[in-house]
Amino acid sequence: MEVSSLPISASQRGKLISAGYTSLSSLSSVSSSDLARGAHNAWDMLHEEESMTRITTSCADLDNILGGGINCKEVTEIGGVPGIGKTQLGIQLAVNVQIPLEFGGLGGKAIYIGNFMVERALQIAEACVEDMSEYNRFLRNDFQACQVKMQPTDILENIFYFRVCTYTEQIALINYLDKFMSEHKDVKIVIIDSITFHFRQDFDDMALRTRVLSGLALKLMKLAKDFSLAVVLLNQVTTKYTGGSFQLTLALGDSWSHSCTNRVILYWNGNERYAYIDKSPSLRSASASYSVTHRGIRNSTSNVKRVKMM
Amino acid sequence: MRPQNLFHRPLTTQKCTLGCPILDRCVGGGIPCNSVTELVAESASGKTQFCLQLSLYAQLPTSHGGLSASSLYLHTEFPFPLRRLRQLSATFRTNNDHNPCDHIFVQSVHSVDQLLDEMPKIESLIKNSKSRLPIRLIVIDSIAALFRSDFENTPGDLKKRSSLFFKISGKLKAMAVGFGLAVVVTNQVVDLIEPNEGINGLRIGNLGCLYSSGRRVCPALGLAWANCVNSRLFLLRNEEFVSEENGTVNGGGEDFVCRRARRRLCVVFAPHLPDSSCEFEITREGVFGVER
Repeated sequence: MEVSSLPISASQRGKLISAGYTSLSSLSSVSSSDLARGAHNAWDMLHEEESMTRITTSCADLDNILGGGINCKEVTEIGGVPGIGKTQLGIQLAVNVQIPLEFGGLGGKAIYIGNFMVERALQIAEACVEDMSEYNRFLRNDFQACQVKMQPTDILENIFYFRVCTYTEQIALINYLDKFMSEHKDVKIVIIDSITFHFRQDFDDMALRTRVLSGLALKLMKLAKDFSLAVVLLNQVTTKYTGGSFQLTLALGDSWSHSCTNRVILYWNGNERYAYIDKSPSLRSASASYSVTHRGIRNSTSNVKRVKMM
Repeated sequence: MRPQNLFHRPLTTQKCTLGCPILDRCVGGGIPCNSVTELVAESASGKTQFCLQLSLYAQLPTSHGGLSASSLYLHTEFPFPLRRLRQLSATFRTNNDHNPCDHIFVQSVHSVDQLLDEMPKIESLIKNSKSRLPIRLIVIDSIAALFRSDFENTPGDLKKRSSLFFKISGKLKAMAVGFGLAVVVTNQVVDLIEPNEGINGLRIGNLGCLYSSGRRVCPALGLAWANCVNSRLFLLRNEEFVSEENGTVNGGGEDFVCRRARRRLCVVFAPHLPDSSCEFEITREGVFGVER
């Protein structure tokens, strides 16, 4: 009996055939554990998680609540109102991923999809290099060796910058990333700024939009796993009309909120910027203040009570 | 698709001068190309003055902070301030003997649909421009006027409205990136009546709340539109009563007071600018920053 005529769902049938099982006899001879090849046990996964690398945000308070920074192998969504600092955080991460291994970084490269101002990236890169020299001086206590080899312009050169103008381009690019990544194994972060904008125009069929978006989310998750890189999606805020009143929520709808492993919401509290962990499988929800300075994302200065655990 | 190498691009984005070094310093050198900048203000704050001045100064050679380019001025409020433009162009001197008004294309727009219809025409105009200076600046004055009349405050209409925002802004951004344009749109404000009126009272950007003429205001078109622009600049005005007694002129002993508008330009949000602001004045010759 052929697998193609079995009374099972089309997607299961497809998976079996693409794995090479065309007839029932070929299937019956393998054990279930062989079929589940590639499965991990939780013990291995725990070890893996302990060795998981993180990318610092340059704000100690924010790193604290994130458990050390943005996780590699995971998809993190960051959302907030315009002007809260989403793009700034994006640029900061694209710079910080390049901090060399000897400084506790990843020494990787970054992919940035979206729109940013080169001069701002250069400013943040310059500050990052200065900080590394400073750190070097404290660490080595040796003024001769405090030269950091990295130049701010090198940092810019290691950011692969893609610009997309329509959602078709965006979809095509995300599909292409897989190939690009296999040629550039040193890429450790993909930042999409923003995932939302192009999907908020020209989409009359919301069901189609949901399907396309969840497809993209799956691709991005797979990408994060396969190449052990961090995927950061920047999202916008919109209002949701429920029960006669408007509420603030991240854009792209309820089903999209399942698509990311972690979700961080940036918001104003008085005159300070705060980040709040809205969703995470491993972190507890907490908020921390941060500030956007000339040098990039840094700790908030005025706040005495730093981290508030909830 | 190939990534761009940031290193091989100019390390600063090209900017178009506002026509005054003090104002330019406040906004990091001028209005940036490849992005959409919004000017928000209540009426009579100087939005149109900024736009007119900008479309003249875009003609300056790049060595003088301009774009050495023509500009396209889409106006939705009538009539087009031609007399003021002529007045400004009289003081605007280029070393060429041509009339600076020759390099400002004006188009009136009456509705959102018309604006969408104009987009492909604008694109082909930019591509096939026979003019000596290519078009590098698009001004839409004002975007709010198009939307504020045609839509009702019902969920259905608001949804339709915001999808149009994204459509228009998507087209503008694509053109800005594709042709290296500076795009400026102006927006109006709405008053906030209650102290913290729900969604409209939501803080966006550097300033906790925006005040103009002593009233609390917020930019029109709401949160959805705020997502559609790259930078937002706010112009505020406050009337100040200057007693002549303290001044040099002393009248006939009567309490003669004159009113004077104090104006300020504030950065609400911009990917490349810190929170900054700058006072400015509008004179016969144009808009100029004031240092105090």
